[in-house]
Amino acid sequence: MLAARASTRRTVTQRVNSAARSFATVVDSAGIKVASVDNNQPTSSVTFLLKAGSRYETKPGVAHALKNFSFKSTANRSALGTVRESEIYGGVLSASLSREHLALTAEFLRGDEQYFVDVLSSILLTTRFARHEYNEYVLPTTHGEISSSTPSANPSFQAIEIAHALAFHNGLGSSIIAPPHFEHHVSHEDVRDFAKSIFGNRENLAVLGTGIDQGKLVGLVEKALSGLGGSAPASSSSSTSSKYFGGETRVQADSAHGHGGPQTVFIGFGTAGSPPPASLSVLSSYLSPTPSLKWTSGTSPIASALASSGVPASVKVVYLPYSDAALFGFLVQGANGEAVAKAGKIAVDALKSVSSGLKGDEWKKAVAKAKFAAASTLEGREGLVQILGGKVLAASGPSTAAAVEETIKALDRVDESAFAKTTSELVKAKPVFVAVGDVASLPYADALGL
Amino acid sequence: MATLAPKVLASKSLAAWIAPVAHWYTNLAGYRKYGLKYDDLVIEETEDALGRLTPRERFDRAYRMKRASQASVLHAPLEKADWTKPQEDVRYLRPHIAEVEKENAERTMWDTALVTRK
Repeated sequence: MLAARASTRRTVTQRVNSAARSFATVVDSAGIKVASVDNNQPTSSVTFLLKAGSRYETKPGVAHALKNFSFKSTANRSALGTVRESEIYGGVLSASLSREHLALTAEFLRGDEQYFVDVLSSILLTTRFARHEYNEYVLPTTHGEISSSTPSANPSFQAIEIAHALAFHNGLGSSIIAPPHFEHHVSHEDVRDFAKSIFGNRENLAVLGTGIDQGKLVGLVEKALSGLGGSAPASSSSSTSSKYFGGETRVQADSAHGHGGPQTVFIGFGTAGSPPPASLSVLSSYLSPTPSLKWTSGTSPIASALASSGVPASVKVVYLPYSDAALFGFLVQGANGEAVAKAGKIAVDALKSVSSGLKGDEWKKAVAKAKFAAASTLEGREGLVQILGGKVLAASGPSTAAAVEETIKALDRVDESAFAKTTSELVKAKPVFVAVGDVASLPYADALGL
Repeated sequence: MATLAPKVLASKSLAAWIAPVAHWYTNLAGYRKYGLKYDDLVIEETEDALGRLTPRERFDRAYRMKRASQASVLHAPLEKADWTKPQEDVRYLRPHIAEVEKENAERTMWDTALVTRK
């Protein structure tokens, strides 16, 4: 059936590629990389993407505290002033942290770009890092985020955090959430010094705009950030290049009322090397039990096996690519340890049977699904910033114009043999196994055939 | 707080005339004999401003207050060695009060601001 529709498929591919070509090029403006996409939408957004993720942090929790220090008082504006002025313009300011990047984002109506670029650059240039703001705003917010992500409050998040530590140890393994009592060893001065070391080098910054003209953004950024990293630039932030280790751990998590979160197991497989192979996204789209149509069970091998076994557990496929490594895995959640063990076995068996390769329609289906997922992520602002920003920051020169197109084209180049090779290598390495919940009933790795 | 102090200090000759009188007057106020600092007595203190002291400053302030209360109960100033020396009598709280007042004023300004589109 797919062969009969080959012509339709070709047009879809062409359309994806031609859309990709309208993505903006990256301009190196006095050492600052600026990229912008304008699809004539009514709102604009500007993101300052910084290499200040948890993998670069100097002490555990510094990156998280720095994220919560954004949009606090600067030389020219108080924290309150920033909020009230932005409200008058009708804009939204946000900061988000990932393992690799800190993103400071302003979304606003077209025409207000001058003000918002000024707000974002003043954060980099003149944030005061006042002690009282650290105590009065940053610590309570950070502690709120810590307590909502404990193993009992958010088992799935914790399972993936612990899996990163097991898989990549230091660097990429550092948690994006600060440890519970981080304020005893992280002061506002530590946060300020960390910020200075990041902000002091133009290579750590990429400016990404959507809905804004490239030339205009370059002009504004050049003017606003002329003083950045001035006479003595700090060294570019660095972290040890990632290596994959693997391992097993179990974390007891129970709620005070006896009906806490679901029993959780994360089974992970990692690779190191940059960039992560495109075949991994094909693998994750093939195995993902999320159906394409609501209220159906989907055609993934895991989904059909789960549906026929009637196990009260869910399996989610997790694929997390980074600049020099990737973590692929299954998040298995269920009401009790027995159900989780059964569902985990189904997932592991499905992965093992795929590791010999995919053929025919199955292969075409998986690639098309992966391509659609990549293209539709690139369409949204957040996906674009994440993917384009990562590529812009990773590249050394302004030669990253084709970076975004590359994401989709890489999927065209993947073939069955490369896929089989990547998958079998992935399965051969020592897996990551994390159990969160009632550790007495949750299975061990060997029980799932790992 | 309306004060002429900056103007007086700006002129060297005027400061030389007035400073001895000022020191005499401060000593006459008597709080130094009870080991207190001037900022222990300010009445504009707020919880916000006190919360911004370092833990050390907060501890020292509480200690001075307790010691002064005890001396007051005994109806006698402290030993002369425990009196606050002029160089120790720094305005440790005033900057925080000024900052809090400025923030409150700014909040009032934003709460009552009239916005006009240009």
